[in-house]
Amino acid sequence: MSTDRFQVITPSTSQDYRDLVRGLTKAAWPEFMLHDRIATELWHELLDRFADYQLALYDTENKRVAAMGNSFPLRWDDSLPNLPEGGWDWAFVEAVNQHKQGLSPNMQCAIQVAIPADYQGQGLSTKVLQALHGIGESKGFKQLIVPVRPSEKSKYPLTSIDNYLTWKDEEGLPFDAWLRVHARVGGRIVKACHESKVVRGTRAEWEGWTKLKFPQSGQYIIPGALNPIEMDAEADEGIYIEPNVWMEHRIR
Amino acid sequence: MNTSRYQMIAPNDIKDYRNLANDIAFASWPEFMLHDPIADDNWHDLFDRFNDYQFAMLDTETNRMAAMGNSLPFHWDEDLSALLEGGWDWVFLKAIEDHKNGVQPNIQSAIQIAIHPEYQGRGLSAKMIQAMRAIGLSKGFKCLVAPVRPNEKSKYPLTSIDNYIEWKTDEGLPFDAWLRVHVRAGAKIIKPCHEAMIIRGTRAEWEEWTKLKFPESGRFVIPGALNPIEMNLEADEGVYIEPNVWMVHS
Repeated sequence: MSTDRFQVITPSTSQDYRDLVRGLTKAAWPEFMLHDRIATELWHELLDRFADYQLALYDTENKRVAAMGNSFPLRWDDSLPNLPEGGWDWAFVEAVNQHKQGLSPNMQCAIQVAIPADYQGQGLSTKVLQALHGIGESKGFKQLIVPVRPSEKSKYPLTSIDNYLTWKDEEGLPFDAWLRVHARVGGRIVKACHESKVVRGTRAEWEGWTKLKFPQSGQYIIPGALNPIEMDAEADEGIYIEPNVWMEHRIR
Repeated sequence: MNTSRYQMIAPNDIKDYRNLANDIAFASWPEFMLHDPIADDNWHDLFDRFNDYQFAMLDTETNRMAAMGNSLPFHWDEDLSALLEGGWDWVFLKAIEDHKNGVQPNIQSAIQIAIHPEYQGRGLSAKMIQAMRAIGLSKGFKCLVAPVRPNEKSKYPLTSIDNYIEWKTDEGLPFDAWLRVHVRAGAKIIKPCHEAMIIRGTRAEWEEWTKLKFPESGRFVIPGALNPIEMNLEADEGVYIEPNVWMVHS
């Protein structure tokens, strides 16, 4: 693979950036993950407020975007072990509120590295993380924090996230492929955040998202979900609470 | 579908019957399901003791085996609602025991209907059930019971089997495709059997069977399993207890 094949593009380097990255998030996630209320309401803010913190990898051979990295600046004065359980949802809301109030940030927070299935397994995740580091460095930040989605936990939905994040491979690196990618570029696990994303839907919505049926209340295993969902047939509501892992990268 | 394309054959009709039949089992079951010790230890008895009750469906166009059916006779005087929780494992051992003791059988139990994956979705399962009943009728039995594996329950491993068998389609038929095939062929649900098969293996065996890792003790969801398995690292043992559903064709 030629190292020049994948070029970093940003909203300021590419006039058609919005068009190029359109559909990328959808291609990278299970359907139900696209129904997090915070994400749905705030996604536009990434380009409206934090355009400098967005990037994508452009495949010059196939003339399409192969990966995307999304981040924003954040102010956090407390210690990292005190980062909130709310993880992803919390960070997004907090960053937007701080920006509205004109609070000056002191670190960078990444909220997505999205790679469509046909580009996975080519080491692009590492390139995206390095490019995100580059943005943080250019802004003068020393830290990048990330509520990481340990996506292989979907095969272990009955294991607690607190135990799962301690699982190691034979080299002593994290068992989970995404935690491992972060660890390999210097990321350190801070702790789990147990309510990083919350997805709510009616029974009919969940049936549409998952192609399963939910004839009764109870816990269900959903393909691609890191924990079971809880279906309440009387309230006509199913709730998925996604655990993530707070990780920290030192930038240079 | 040309109905004459598929022909029922008996074990002695073709050479290599057992190997061809095994190929179907390997292709149709998740790996761990091939490690039930009752099945492994006693499978040969199907042919050694109950040869008349085994059959397969031959695709005469390709000369390949498309499906196979296995059943056996046993003796049962009590009410069908008293059939045991041990389901599949129990009825297999009971049939052998009765045969060894010369006890006259009065009922037939299905053990397996396996459709080769390439032949699924063509309605062959209904024909297989008919063929199995025909064997029992020829022996003078009044009914065929079956510890049925509701295989779509693998998508609902946290739901109890007692609740799962109540789930219905919009037509009022069982939600599960295999339960539905039996009901369409005239069968009734008797009750679940909660310990129809018990599969034990070391952690290493389960890791090989499932391509998953088990770094700690606890419950794990396994692709193709109807319930979670329970892994105990101190004992170096994982246990899977499969629930089935007793059904009867009268």
